[in-house]
Amino acid sequence: MDMKRDYYEDVKLFTSGVVFFWFMVLMVFLAAYPFLVKNYYVYVANYIAINIIVVIGLNILVGYTGQISLGHAGFFAIGAYGTLILMTKFHFPFLVALPVSALIAAVFGFLLGLPALRLEGPYLAIATLGFGLTITRVIGKIEFFGGRQGLHAPELVIGPWHLNTDRDFYYLLMVITVLMTVGARNLIKTRVGRAFVAIRDADIAAETMGVNLVFYKTLAFAVSAFYAGVAGGLFAFVLRFIEPEVFSLFMSIMFLAMVVVGGLGSIMGSIAGACLLGWLDLQLRNILSLPYIGSWLESLSKSYFSLTGVSNIQFILFGLIMVLIMLFEPLGIFGFWIRTKKYWRTWPF
Amino acid sequence: MKKKLLSILLAAAMVFGISICAVAEEGVTDTEIHIGQWGPQTGPAAAWGSVARGTDAYFKMINDEGGINGRKLVLHMFDDGYNPAKTMAGVKELQEGKGMFAWVSGVGTATGLAVRDYLMEKKIPWVGPAAGSQVWITPPSKYLFGVYPLYFIEAKALCNYGATKLGKKKFAIVYQNDDYGKNGLAGAQEELGKLGMKLVETVPVEVADTDMKPHIMKLKQSEADVVLLWVTPSHAVRLVGTAAAMQFAPQWMSTSTCSDFPFMNTISKGLWTNVIAASFGELPDSPHPLMQKYKKAHEKYAAKEERWGVFFTAGIGFVEPAVEALKRCGKDLTRERFVKELEGMKNFKGILGKVSFKPFNEKDPSSRQGTNEVFLIQCTETSGSKQLTEWTKYE
Amino acid sequence: MLDFIQMIASGIAVGSSYALMGLAMVIIYKTSEVPNFAQGEMALISVFFAFMLLGHYGVPGYIAFPATLVFAAVLGFLLEFTVLRRAKNPNVLGMIVITIGLEMILLGLVSWKFGADHKDMPFPISPYESFAMGKIFVSTLEVLTLFVALIMMVTLFLFFRYSKLGMAVKATQQNKTAARLMGIRTNRIMMLTWGISSVVGCVAGLLLTPVSMEPFMMWDPMLKGFASAVLGGMTSLPGAVFGAYILGIIENLFGGYVSIEFKSVVAFVIIVLVLCVKPSGLFARHYVKKV
Repeated sequence: MDMKRDYYEDVKLFTSGVVFFWFMVLMVFLAAYPFLVKNYYVYVANYIAINIIVVIGLNILVGYTGQISLGHAGFFAIGAYGTLILMTKFHFPFLVALPVSALIAAVFGFLLGLPALRLEGPYLAIATLGFGLTITRVIGKIEFFGGRQGLHAPELVIGPWHLNTDRDFYYLLMVITVLMTVGARNLIKTRVGRAFVAIRDADIAAETMGVNLVFYKTLAFAVSAFYAGVAGGLFAFVLRFIEPEVFSLFMSIMFLAMVVVGGLGSIMGSIAGACLLGWLDLQLRNILSLPYIGSWLESLSKSYFSLTGVSNIQFILFGLIMVLIMLFEPLGIFGFWIRTKKYWRTWPF
Repeated sequence: MKKKLLSILLAAAMVFGISICAVAEEGVTDTEIHIGQWGPQTGPAAAWGSVARGTDAYFKMINDEGGINGRKLVLHMFDDGYNPAKTMAGVKELQEGKGMFAWVSGVGTATGLAVRDYLMEKKIPWVGPAAGSQVWITPPSKYLFGVYPLYFIEAKALCNYGATKLGKKKFAIVYQNDDYGKNGLAGAQEELGKLGMKLVETVPVEVADTDMKPHIMKLKQSEADVVLLWVTPSHAVRLVGTAAAMQFAPQWMSTSTCSDFPFMNTISKGLWTNVIAASFGELPDSPHPLMQKYKKAHEKYAAKEERWGVFFTAGIGFVEPAVEALKRCGKDLTRERFVKELEGMKNFKGILGKVSFKPFNEKDPSSRQGTNEVFLIQCTETSGSKQLTEWTKYE
Repeated sequence: MLDFIQMIASGIAVGSSYALMGLAMVIIYKTSEVPNFAQGEMALISVFFAFMLLGHYGVPGYIAFPATLVFAAVLGFLLEFTVLRRAKNPNVLGMIVITIGLEMILLGLVSWKFGADHKDMPFPISPYESFAMGKIFVSTLEVLTLFVALIMMVTLFLFFRYSKLGMAVKATQQNKTAARLMGIRTNRIMMLTWGISSVVGCVAGLLLTPVSMEPFMMWDPMLKGFASAVLGGMTSLPGAVFGAYILGIIENLFGGYVSIEFKSVVAFVIIVLVLCVKPSGLFARHYVKKV
């Protein structure tokens, strides 16, 4: 079942015919999705896809290499601003601007990785937090980047195609997301990925085994920054407008929460975490319009709480879901999946 | 065979016929008009949530009086937490789901800019963004009607008054480091330049800053005798308080955001007395008949902890021109007609200044800026307001 | 020169409020090994509880403030007992996310109950009167905050160093299993530390309310408190306090002489530089891992 007989089996993308079949079903569903739902849900899917890319990158850093980063909004911002600036001021085509700005983000990731070599835990958290803060302040100050007025995204033209509706973006995003997910999964299975996991579990022992800590730790930061940069560049086009305050500390905390809630050290987990928390982020405000719950909440607000603040239910529910998931399953959503699989494997004993 | 052909023809005729009759405008039925609005009901900017709630109470009042030409106004307001991604999500959901006829108000420059292009491409009218920034009219868009007098203009009014009526010589400005503050800075610089003066000190404030001591130190060093406050109410209170502690007491002048004197005087524990503020609308305690009417609406429809303050009444004021234009359209309500009625509006007076628009001219920003009138008030010791000037128009 | 001294004085004043938050975070980190992101909101809810007592129920000040401190302590006990302890085999990141979730819940509750407007807290000391020492102005509230911060630091330091309970807390931090073997009831100790930390946070919050009171007021002090605790060393109480003062002074000096816009940024940059040299903060002992 799960036993691997040789190295090539471990590295194979699809472990069996069944997995491949379900993968194909998923691809067909994703391709048909925009035709099945209203356009608004395509926008939600775009937003979630962007979060998936960032969270997979962050998972490589946090889940597989055991570091922590509260500054990923900074890399996200570099990707977004980089892509827009290269496209508007320097007239690069989109397919060149996106990887270039992601590489710039990777360079900054490398720079951030250098102090990370000596720091860990809350110290590293504050260092990355400071980095995220610095990036947004500096970008906001420089008029060339639009300053506080923000930047508008130009029309997206790739080759002969003009992409202006959510559906067009959706297909572009799906292609890029699938590519990056497969890329991350392959990365994990190679020696680089094993080096990351070794650093997380016992870094001194890893060093004695020949894993170059400096190289691999900074590489982890650079790779996750690259992912965040790609996602940032795409985000600029989904939202059509960016400004420095969007990339706040709250966004970094959201990313970290998505990684942990989804499941550290698992790509499926990151996808699940990004989907769940991203969807909640956008949809929880609609809870007041649900038939029974909405009116019950409003009457509760009138008697004990304030009616003006009733939208804050979103925060409460969001926090509650996060806390409950982490309490009952420290491994996150992926942990639930593993437990369910294990349970059914030995059923009915 | 013949029957089949007949049924196909019949079906085609029905579809054709139905599509001709049902050319009703999106968001309008025989009994309802759907209007959308966003606002920060949660998050750090949640104090501005009162704007959307003000519009809500106003619409309920109008519906109780019979609606507009037999149609009831349905307000779809949603919370965007001052996050442009959520604003975009909400606008798309409402526009593509229920279908809104038009959008009104909407707090925030960044949030508004995120959705502006989307609304303009779809030719959906948007009246009265709740932000007095110049971005709405540079360049002007056909379907975007600005009603809030520009921050730029408020700065000019205050500087002009300070220099000419009060004879002050040294002006300084504390401004929030974003579009709001920078517009004020530009206005002050231009007006003072016209009078042959310069700002002696300009101090930026980051929204996240809580410690105002360095800022006050700089102002004190510059020995300014007038300081313009272009910040949020919480920063304004901190600044005035820190200055009092450091015994620095210039003439404070502030924007309309901090013109709610009872509120400001309470949270600053009485330090707000003698502050001069610009105001773009009738004050909450004004005896104007419209304000009395709205106050009754507030008592009837608003939540009991809703404060009767400037943000609430602003929510009504920004929407009045839109409601007036809807009334003028009569029974035949389409977006093009709505835009034409707005363009034809001349000196419409609600609780804001006189609102006028002109036919769309993309080279003329004032064709889409409804009013540039403000008046100045000063806070008295009992938190009342002493009116210093009449409604004055500035360019 | 005068300006320089004024800036130092302002820096110390603002550092005191960061110091209290930093102290609260360090106390929890010492035993639970998790930086508590909910610290600010725990203080927030206690402060709004005081507001409710004073305003709504008209309870006089000398009953309301001690009652608030008791409330804060009970809140700390409750949170540890119901939430942190229930986590099964938690790892550090999991605990961090739990505290973030708690933070959102508490913030949502306060915003829901009280609305988003600024409130006016009837506090006996006004933040706007000041002492003048020559040309240097320090407000009375800031002097009070300074005293409270120093007294708290000294009290806690003595408590942890010399009292039996304090030694039990240190023992729990160093090796939980060994402490249990020695007869220390570690569960109670954990609850106690959360309670103490919550009370310290509540005091910090109360001292901040006269200036401005609204649901989002504790975000920035918590962040600065966290940064100063990191600067001083997350396991060292005096470290948190000195880190806070250093942070406050740097911010004010930089803001006064160079640029107000970048003052927080520079503060963080300096923290990172210090951490590069001393990876566990200035005053804490850096435990080098043994393989």
